[in-house]
Amino acid sequence: MAAPDQKSSPTQVLESVGRGAAQFAGAFGFGAHLFFQSLYWLIMGRSKGQRVRAEPLFAQMMVIGVLAIPIVSMLSVAIGITLSMQGINSLEKFGAQHQVVFMVALSVTREFGPLITGILVAGRSGSALAARISTMVISQEIDALKVMGINPVRYLVVPALIGMMIVLPCLTLWSIGISLVGSAFYVAPQIGTTMGAYFSQINASIDAEDLAHGLTKSLIFAVLITIVAVVDGISVKGGAEGVGRVTTSAVVHGITAIVLTDMVFVFMTTS
Amino acid sequence: MTQAQTPQQPVIEVNNLVTHYGERKILNDVSLTIQQGEIMVIMGGSGSGKSTLLRHMVALENATSGSIRLLGNELSKLSQMEFYKLCRKIGVSFQGGALFSSLTVIENIILPLHEHTDLDRMTMEIMARMKLQVVDLAPFEDLMPAQLSGGMIKRAAIARAIVMDPSLLFFDEPSAGLDPVVSSALDELILELRDAMQMTIVVVTHELDSAFKIADRITVLDKGEILIVGTVDEVRNSNNERIQNLLNRRFEEEELDPDEYLRRLMGQS
Repeated sequence: MAAPDQKSSPTQVLESVGRGAAQFAGAFGFGAHLFFQSLYWLIMGRSKGQRVRAEPLFAQMMVIGVLAIPIVSMLSVAIGITLSMQGINSLEKFGAQHQVVFMVALSVTREFGPLITGILVAGRSGSALAARISTMVISQEIDALKVMGINPVRYLVVPALIGMMIVLPCLTLWSIGISLVGSAFYVAPQIGTTMGAYFSQINASIDAEDLAHGLTKSLIFAVLITIVAVVDGISVKGGAEGVGRVTTSAVVHGITAIVLTDMVFVFMTTS
Repeated sequence: MTQAQTPQQPVIEVNNLVTHYGERKILNDVSLTIQQGEIMVIMGGSGSGKSTLLRHMVALENATSGSIRLLGNELSKLSQMEFYKLCRKIGVSFQGGALFSSLTVIENIILPLHEHTDLDRMTMEIMARMKLQVVDLAPFEDLMPAQLSGGMIKRAAIARAIVMDPSLLFFDEPSAGLDPVVSSALDELILELRDAMQMTIVVVTHELDSAFKIADRITVLDKGEILIVGTVDEVRNSNNERIQNLLNRRFEEEELDPDEYLRRLMGQS
């Protein structure tokens, strides 16, 4: 007689959910611990003989930021133009196509700029960081750091975290600007206005609070991308296959964390 | 082989060490002392707990109970900063080398100096090159670890381990995966380090030839328990059945005809 299907039993489902929740809580706690450890070593490192050096920080900023400019620019222009096309198409129904500038300006500055840049950097740099950390775990490089008296959080995590926190808002700002420029090339001829008038309208549509909203989110995304990548990287099991697995999960977890946090942030700042 | 200097104060003391991985007991009441300037080889079969013991000695693992004193410092009582200071006096050569793959050979060797001293770059490079000469790797300083052979990786790892002139040096399976010629050269290097730099050296290995060649004393571990701590002759002449089984296992393998080995492997014997 065939064994009953245990997988679908309520107890099994409950157990699976419980185990998942416990793992999430453990990872969340470890992530928070890593973040505060990073801040500790950033502030106290010098006095403890474990100073955070500028070279790896600049190297991280170069990799995360400067090298990402072409792809961020391309996607931002595409997003700006797409939003403009959708906006004009929708607003035309109400005879309000001139309001497209207002719609694009706000949605890019408050939402699409930070979100698209965050997702792109999570895919590009979050995965690279997870791969680097997990490879170091497997090849005992993290152990080597410890026995050399080098704190791995200070040496590996702090430059990545601070680099990301500096560069992601800058990239977001760049993304917002490029999106609006891209949008201008489509919108201005479509609604029969000049570039100058378009940018005047942009200037009137967004204020410092909108920009702060977008940049604050990008700062939070920077922390999330780094910490998720490190937590996933450290949790690696097995060899090369394990590295591939944690690299994928770092991207999935990073993007999930970004989108959910974005929703919570918007809820908290708008309601 | 040159004998170590007269024992004074133990530089490593392991007292009643017990450790578990989950429910499984890995080390069971392990106690041993290692004297200044001696080469202690810890040997045993796979899963005997020898690498775990080494990881405890360099504080990469926490024991369930028991204590370890390194250079007079009890590891479990050290603060993080005290431990980092102690780390400057120890060097570890890991089984796979554990070189940083994103750094060149010389950058790997400079790293501890860069992190722990205020020396200028040129001085650090000179010091690193001196260590590279000790391990006979000077012409390869600009290569990346991926460009090195297994033996060269081990030697580069040794150069990194000794760059701070530590008084304690740990080797995890230095001969693993190396051909006999390279393995023998590494053994010579370990002896040179002890004699020239007065280091206390702990070597974890399952290679009997290597162990008998370099050891002042040998600790034999089996199933997490110490079977014997003694000189090479004491170990060789031990009447303990488990020790003899361990020693003879090697000879069985060596005397096995390759065809017979394959037949056994295929379960046709």
